[in-house]
Amino acid sequence: MSKTKTSAEAAISSAPTDEASIREIIDKCKRETRIEYHYGDGFFKPRMRGINHLELGRSKIISSPITILIEWLYVQWKRVRDFFGDLGKRLFPREGRVWCDRVDSHLAGQTIFAGDRGDGAPIHHLHLEFWGRTWLGHWRKFGETKTDKEGYFRLPFDLRQARRLWVRRVYFEIQTTTRVYFHEGKPRFHFDVWRRVELPKGDLIGMDYNLRTIRLDFWRYREGAYTPRAKVNASGDEPEHYSQGRIDALMEQVIPIELTKIKHLDQIELDPGSLTIPEIQADYPMNLTTCIEKHLPGYTRGDEWFGERMMNGMNRGTFQPDAKKKGHYWIHYFGRCWYESNDVYALPDVDILFKLKKNGLPEPVEIHLTGKLNSHEHDPWKKRVYTPKDEPDWTYAKRVARVNGAFNTEVEEHFAGTHLNSEQFAVACYRNLKLNPVAALLMPHLKEVSLIDHAADKTLIGGYIAAATALTKEGLEQRTRDIMGMQDWKGWKPMTPISKAHSCAKAEALFWDVVGGYVDRFVEDWKDEIQKHWFEIYCFSEDLVNHAVPVAFTAPQDAPPKGAKWKALADRRFEYYCQQYSFDPTLERPVVNGERKAISRITAAKSFHEAGKEDWQNLKDACRYAIMMATYMHTWINEHQYDDLGEILYSCGGLRYGEKPEGIMAPESDYGIAPDLERSTQMLWFTNLLSRTEYGFITRNEEGDVNPHFAELLEAKREEFKSLGVDIDAIESRTNI
Amino acid sequence: MSSATHITLSQIERYWIHRFGDKLLLWVYAKLFAVMLALFLCFPKQQRMSHNNGIGAAGKLRIVDHPEFPAHPFFAPGREFPVRIRHASATFLDDAMNCIRSMSIKLSDHHFKSPFDIEMNSGEVSLFWSAASFLKFARLRGEKYGIEYRDYNRKYPNGLAGSMAAGRRHATSFHNLHYYCKTPFLYMGSDNIKRYAKYRVIPADNEPESGKEENPSEWDQCNQRILPHETRGRNYLKYEYEDRIRREGARYRLQIQTHPASDNEDPEVFNNMIVWDEDAHPWQDLGIITIDRTLDWKESTLTTFSVNNMPKTLGVLPAKSIFDYNSLNYLRAHSELARKARMLSYKVYGMVPPIPDNDNRNVSDWGV
Ligand code: HEM
Ligand SMILES: [Fe+2]
Repeated sequence: MSKTKTSAEAAISSAPTDEASIREIIDKCKRETRIEYHYGDGFFKPRMRGINHLELGRSKIISSPITILIEWLYVQWKRVRDFFGDLGKRLFPREGRVWCDRVDSHLAGQTIFAGDRGDGAPIHHLHLEFWGRTWLGHWRKFGETKTDKEGYFRLPFDLRQARRLWVRRVYFEIQTTTRVYFHEGKPRFHFDVWRRVELPKGDLIGMDYNLRTIRLDFWRYREGAYTPRAKVNASGDEPEHYSQGRIDALMEQVIPIELTKIKHLDQIELDPGSLTIPEIQADYPMNLTTCIEKHLPGYTRGDEWFGERMMNGMNRGTFQPDAKKKGHYWIHYFGRCWYESNDVYALPDVDILFKLKKNGLPEPVEIHLTGKLNSHEHDPWKKRVYTPKDEPDWTYAKRVARVNGAFNTEVEEHFAGTHLNSEQFAVACYRNLKLNPVAALLMPHLKEVSLIDHAADKTLIGGYIAAATALTKEGLEQRTRDIMGMQDWKGWKPMTPISKAHSCAKAEALFWDVVGGYVDRFVEDWKDEIQKHWFEIYCFSEDLVNHAVPVAFTAPQDAPPKGAKWKALADRRFEYYCQQYSFDPTLERPVVNGERKAISRITAAKSFHEAGKEDWQNLKDACRYAIMMATYMHTWINEHQYDDLGEILYSCGGLRYGEKPEGIMAPESDYGIAPDLERSTQMLWFTNLLSRTEYGFITRNEEGDVNPHFAELLEAKREEFKSLGVDIDAIESRTNI
Repeated sequence: MSSATHITLSQIERYWIHRFGDKLLLWVYAKLFAVMLALFLCFPKQQRMSHNNGIGAAGKLRIVDHPEFPAHPFFAPGREFPVRIRHASATFLDDAMNCIRSMSIKLSDHHFKSPFDIEMNSGEVSLFWSAASFLKFARLRGEKYGIEYRDYNRKYPNGLAGSMAAGRRHATSFHNLHYYCKTPFLYMGSDNIKRYAKYRVIPADNEPESGKEENPSEWDQCNQRILPHETRGRNYLKYEYEDRIRREGARYRLQIQTHPASDNEDPEVFNNMIVWDEDAHPWQDLGIITIDRTLDWKESTLTTFSVNNMPKTLGVLPAKSIFDYNSLNYLRAHSELARKARMLSYKVYGMVPPIPDNDNRNVSDWGV
């Protein structure tokens, strides 16, 4: 093993060593690298065309003066168009008055979800309107209705009004709730036209006109997906749209880092030898670890920082008490397991044994690495144990542990645990909650997650992560599915703090209380309406359950490979995940088509008076859980990404085996095991993008969609959160990046 | 509005353009339709619009001695009329198919002239309800391979319900079916009180109705074709009727329902898709029809009926627009040209042949 000391390791001796000064430096760096948001508009500034255009390579950014000019003209044209659009709206308002003297006709039919093979389920309580436009462009409303529980509708109207000579065209509109906002403490639903179909006016001849079975791609589940997903078409037939504010915020924040990435990619293409990892690093904004390194060289590679970040950093590790040694805990990061993988990147199993120090922070005492560490070995079960005495391997092992931890946190906790998990609630919510006030409780927190997940499929799961880590796209999809098999609202509890320094767990519990208070009061306040429209809760629950993945590893297609060792690994993983995701394996879970589903049923009753006595509490618990995942749990990882994944050599998605016999057990100076140049710039681009472009905060309430009571409850705990290192102003109200 | 300057377009719309325009449009549509019928169907093809497959018969009608319906001089108690009737199947020339069956009555023993005609079809409700709907019905009637109402039925569920109500397959006899005139007519009786009337015919001996399909699906209903391995011939119903009349004759009960008019009548009263409530509008016996002889093919084919053959006090109700439910009868009243064109065609080309007994099934032409 080489004994080269990095300059950082050499310089460590001159830095302060007392705890107070170190803490001061860390706090200063946290402040300095904190992300600020200022939204604004720049003139002649490169622009991006939209979030869907984000790409791994060159995003469709416009930087040459000519294209900027064209872009400027385009913007001006858009303004003119918008002006006339607004003018049109003002000249031809769509008034609420219904043009009807006598109902003698109906538009009849049924709305159902489109299915890939045959019909989907009926769409209940969909808002429908019937409009006409006169030759002069005026809108006239002829009638409106909602579909019934079976999706059937009979929209009443006056035939003579619809068949007036003045009326040039008639339109049948399907409207959906696009926004919920709070006005004087009451939720309001905003409907927008989702589909407008012109009807042949001459076909209206009185009595009923049959629009027959209308198959809608309305919040359709994507067929063949590994987990319950919304079907999002590239053609713009999207179930929902990002808010303008969210798109603008992204544009503002992402442009400089986008330009940096483009510069690097060009350089790599033209002359790769002219660029190094430190140069790439230097081009991106400073992050927490590079900042600390500047003041305390080597500190972030030390045991103290390692323990602190494993406990309270992005990873928020799950500490499992050691069976024998008191005050000792294990964190497990599972490696490539049986998932489809490549042989470029290492991903061994990592087991870290910690001892709690006096101050409550963990100190690593052993690191076990199981599996391949270089390109020459082939035994997936080979185990190596390192202790602090084994320098320099101990330092290398910590890096391996950090990298594996980052991989697991991103793929399992972040993508599966919060993104995919929230999406399954989002799809079920948008499909089913229409008249029930619970829609107002959930929608603000579940909006946009389906869209961002769709983008992540392409850029992360099918793009960056598959190219920068050990798992292939297929392997990643199976792994996230397995983790989804450990997510259930029932019985979920936040992490139990193991010591006074476990601030991450404490903050989590504090937030859980806030959400609990918010949900409880909302549900009780709207009790009558919620119970009246219990049918929607039933459908919500059915969709959740029926589309949920089976409990991890239980379905034949999810089972580990045959063999005792694999089975033991699967058992170890299952047991650990039960603690990590607070999943109670003893609960009786619904069985659908022979699959034991991960998600518990909220209610089995179509009306409240038939509901079981636990159902009311179930509803509260499920909502509380969904909001917790989509807000706090997601924010935690998302906003710490740049802290813990913002320095290429400190941590990344995967270390390469490289050519040397020692493989990944090598110093940071060996760039052969670090991510390559392209992956390096992409990684910093990503962590910047994800951490920096947050938009939609609970306390900031940019879109007026956050229940004021939620913000009040949170505000009341501001200081308490602050003492745990959490800034409540940075907690997002939804998962949208 | 307080002053004349405040008259808005919508008022003009309502009081002038609507009234006049609607009526004009109705007139144009009715005339055009009759001309088209005459020019493209009745004259060149020598056909009725719908009921080509039928058999005529004759006998008499005797008005009941103790009427319960409001008195009317035309229907004086005990009054007797010579009658001609015609039973027919619409529109295919195949008795074994699932078809609408009809009975038309004229109170004279002449093929054309009569003081009172009434045309009635099986089923309590109709397939259309206004001129607009009738024209749509006519346009969407794509008659092919024993299917004709599919396109219409897909768009108009009430039309489908109408075919379900009217379709009769495997009826044992024309005699035991119930026939309804569906649309209301004027009824201005001896007391000069304005009323509306609907007529129907049921068998006098209350023989149970045959040929109803039990709970057909939408698709079964659209498919009027003969069943697989059908043993009944193309003319079986007409033969049965001839046999029956020769053997025992036939007696029918002609009934009437009346509804007193009111100033602001709910237009739905005129909607022939809505059955008048029988408690408020009980069916009352008008008279007994006794049939004792059938007409040959030629005389049956010549015999024709018209809504214009009615006394003024029993005639067609006025209609305001093509959407008005009464516009259905308006259209019929204006289709006289079609009947005359058919009569003329026989003079020009000669009589059409009877429907042959052959294996060319599910067709709407002679198919020799
Ligand atoms: C519910 C309303 C209607 C009923 C119950 C009805 C009934 C009938 C019946 C039973 C016949 C056969 C008469 C026969 O045996 O010769 C017939 C024929 C005919 N109907 Fe209708 N009809 C209705 C509406 C209409 C309408 C709206 C028109 C529109 C013009 C129309 C036009 C005709 C014509 C042209 C014939 C053939 C007359 C002939 O050539 O002899 N009918 N109708
Ligand atoms: Fe995220």
